[in-house]
Amino acid sequence: MSADTAAGGEPALVDRIRDYLAGQLGASAGLELRDVQRIAVGWSHETWLFDAVWSDAEGDHAVGYCLRRDPGNALLRNLSDLGVQFRVLQGLAGTGVPAPAAYFYEDDAAVLGAPFLVMEKVPGVCPSPWGRAGQQFYREAAERGVLPLDFTDALIKLHTCDWRAAGLDFLGVPGPGNDFCRREIATWKGLIEQAEIEPDPVLADTIGWLEANAPATDGRPLALVHGAYRTGNVLIHDDRVSAILDWETPVIGDPLYDVAYVLSELNREGTELLSNLVERDTFVSRYEAATGIEIDPAVCDYYHVLYAMRSAAFWMSASGLFATGRNPDLRLARTRWSVPVVLDQAARRLGY
Amino acid sequence: MLRDDELLSRIAGVLRHDVGPQVQQDFAKTQAFMAGVILDKVAGQLRHAVAHHRADRADAGALAAELQASLQPGDPASLRGSVEALHRAASSDTDPADNPADDPADTLAGDPVGGALHALVTELYAARAALGAERFDALLGRTRTALRARLDRQLAYSR
Repeated sequence: MSADTAAGGEPALVDRIRDYLAGQLGASAGLELRDVQRIAVGWSHETWLFDAVWSDAEGDHAVGYCLRRDPGNALLRNLSDLGVQFRVLQGLAGTGVPAPAAYFYEDDAAVLGAPFLVMEKVPGVCPSPWGRAGQQFYREAAERGVLPLDFTDALIKLHTCDWRAAGLDFLGVPGPGNDFCRREIATWKGLIEQAEIEPDPVLADTIGWLEANAPATDGRPLALVHGAYRTGNVLIHDDRVSAILDWETPVIGDPLYDVAYVLSELNREGTELLSNLVERDTFVSRYEAATGIEIDPAVCDYYHVLYAMRSAAFWMSASGLFATGRNPDLRLARTRWSVPVVLDQAARRLGY
Repeated sequence: MLRDDELLSRIAGVLRHDVGPQVQQDFAKTQAFMAGVILDKVAGQLRHAVAHHRADRADAGALAAELQASLQPGDPASLRGSVEALHRAASSDTDPADNPADDPADTLAGDPVGGALHALVTELYAARAALGAERFDALLGRTRTALRARLDRQLAYSR
C-alpha cells in the first residue's frame, strides 16, 4: 500500500514515514507500508502500527514496525521524552525484560513534523482493564493460570535486570536515604506547576505529608522501575507478556514503587485480583522468593499516597492542556472532575 | 423558565442519546459523548454552586477563628498571616445568594477560599518544626476537618 486512508486521513504522513524508512533500511525503491493503523489519539504519543515490505539484493523482507510520534501536547509534557524511551528500549535489549526492540529515533521535526521513534511491532493484544471485554479477557486468563505468573515474572525480570550494565544509569541514580522519594515528589510537583491550575489545599496536604514522611530505601537494591506496571500497559500473546509497553515514566529507584502500583486498588475493578489478574498471595510470594526483596506494607502504603498525588498531577496536566488551548480533546477537559476523586483517595489514606 | 443547570443537562442528554450514536467516526463520537458528560458535570456544579460557596465560606470562617484563637505569640508570622488571609477570604467574598443580580456561575469563576486554604496548609507544614508535633497535629487535624467537608462537596458533582 502506498499512501492511503488507513492511517485516518493522513496520507502525506504515511508517505513521509515510508520515505524515511526506505532511507534507513537502504530500500531505495519499492518499499511499501501495509496494514497501517493509528492506534492512539490525543492522550499520549501518537502511535502507528504497520508492516514494511521491500526487496533488495538479500531478498524479500516483511517487518512489522511501531512508530510513536510526540505531538507536543501529551499529558506528561516534558516528563515523557521519546528520546529517553528510545534509550531505555535500547538498553533493555538482551536483558531478558520483554520489551520492543528499538530501531530508529529521530528528533528532527522536519522529518515527520515532530520527534518520533520506530520500534518493533511485537505480536500481542493489550485489552483495557477498565472495559467489560478487557475484564473478561483477564478473568479468563486468570482462570487458565499462566498469564498471572508471567505477569509477575515480567516484573521480576525488570527488577532484577542489571540496569548499570544496560547503560540505564543515564536516567539518574538516587542517593541514599529518602532521595528517591524526594526526586519523585519533585518530578510530579513540576508537572502540577506546569498545569497552571488553581492550587488545591488537599493536594498541598498530600504533598506536605509525602515530603515529611518519605521513607528511606536503603534496605533494598535500586532497580529499573517502570512507573506504571499494570495490565493495559503490557502486551499479551499466547498467555504470556510479549512486551512491557508505555515506557513514559521509567526511573532508577525503589522496586517497591512498582510493586505498590501492582497492589493498588487503582488497577483493579470489581475483583480482588491484582491488576484484574493475579492473586495477591501468589504475586507476593513469587515476587519475594525470586527477588529476595521483602514487600514492606508501610512503604507500599506510602507509595499509594504518592500515586494518588501522581494521578492528581496527571489529571491537572490533562485539564490544563485543554484549558490553555494546547489540546482540543474533550476527554482532557473531563479530567478536571477526576482531580477531587483521586484527592479523596489521598485524603482517606491520610486519615480523613 | 429553565435554570442554567437544567438547560445544560438537557443538552447533555441530546448529545449522549441523539447526537453521539449517529456519529460514525470514532474520535468524533467520543467527543460527542464526552461533551455530554462535561455538560452534566458543569450542570451539577452550577446546581450546587450557591450552597457550596456559602458552606465553603462558613467552614473557612469557623476554621480561621479557631486557628486564630489557637495561635501563640511565638508562632511564625507567616502562619499567622495565612490564617488572617483565610479569614479575609471567608468574610469578604460576595455571596450570590445575597445578591439576586449575581449569577451562580460567578461562584465558579474563582476560588479565593481554596487559595487561602492552600496557603494555610503550606504554611502549617513549613511551621511544623516550630509548632512541635503535638500542636502541628492538632492544627492540621482541625484544618483537615474543613478540607474533608469541602472535598465532599466537590465529590457531589465530580463522581
